[in-house]
Amino acid sequence: MSAHAASAPKTRTAPARAPAGFPMGFYRYRNYVLFAATSLFMMLGCAMLLDAIHALGQGEAAWLAFQARMARPYYLATSSVVLLFTLYFVIRFAWVGRKIAAGRIGPIPRPPVPMFVTGVAPIGGFLTLWLILLLILGGFLP
Amino acid sequence: MKLIHRLEPLWWILFGAGGFTACFFLPALILGVLILTPLHVIAQGLVYWRAHELAAHPLGRIFLVSVLSLVLWHCAHHLRHFALDVFGHKAAPAAAFMSYGLALAGTITAFVLVSAL
Repeated sequence: MSAHAASAPKTRTAPARAPAGFPMGFYRYRNYVLFAATSLFMMLGCAMLLDAIHALGQGEAAWLAFQARMARPYYLATSSVVLLFTLYFVIRFAWVGRKIAAGRIGPIPRPPVPMFVTGVAPIGGFLTLWLILLLILGGFLP
Repeated sequence: MKLIHRLEPLWWILFGAGGFTACFFLPALILGVLILTPLHVIAQGLVYWRAHELAAHPLGRIFLVSVLSLVLWHCAHHLRHFALDVFGHKAAPAAAFMSYGLALAGTITAFVLVSAL
C-alpha cells in the first residue's frame, strides 16, 4: 500500500458525557437551561401570533373574538410570561454580543468605549425599534 | 442524519438571522398584538380594517413571514442542541427531525395564512 492510499489513524476519544450536576446543579447550568427555555416560549409566542393572523384572515368577527379571548386572565398571563422570556433572550443576546464587539473573539480591535456601553448600546437600539413598531401598531405612525 | 449534518451551515445562518430578528421585532409584536391590543391600550391602531391593511400590504406580508419563520428556525436549532446536551447523541435524530419539522410546519403555516389575507 502506498503512503498516499493509507488512511489517517483515527484519534480515540472518550464518549461525550454531561458534567457533574448538569443541568440544575450549578447556577451557570441553570442560566444555560433558562436561556434554552426561551426558545420554547418564543415558539409559543410565534404560535399565538400565527393564531392572530389566522383570525385576521377569517374576518372582523373572528378578529374581535380573538382579542376577547386574549384579554382573558389566563391568556394575558401566558402572553406576559412569553414576553418576559423573550426579553431575557434579548438581554442575554446583547450581553454576549458585547464580548464580540469588544474583540474578545477574533482579531477585531477593542472599541474605545467601556464594556458596559457595548452591552447597553444594542439594547438601546432594540428599544428604539420596538418603540417605532409599537407606534405603527398603535396607529400613531402611518 | 447525514443530510442534517451536511446542511449545518444553513441551520447556522437561519439560527443567527432568527436571533437578530427576534431581538429586533418579537418583543414589540408580542406586546402590541397579544397584550396591549386585547387590553384596549392601543386598540384603535389595530381595529380590524387597519390590522388587515397592515398585514395584507406586500411589505407587511414579507415582514410577517420572515419574522415568524426565522424566529421559529432559530428556536428549533437552539432546542435541537439543548436536547443533545440533556439526552446525549442517541437522541440526535429525534431532536433534529422534531425541532426542524416543527419549524418547517410553522414556516408553511405562516406562508399559507399570510397568503390568504
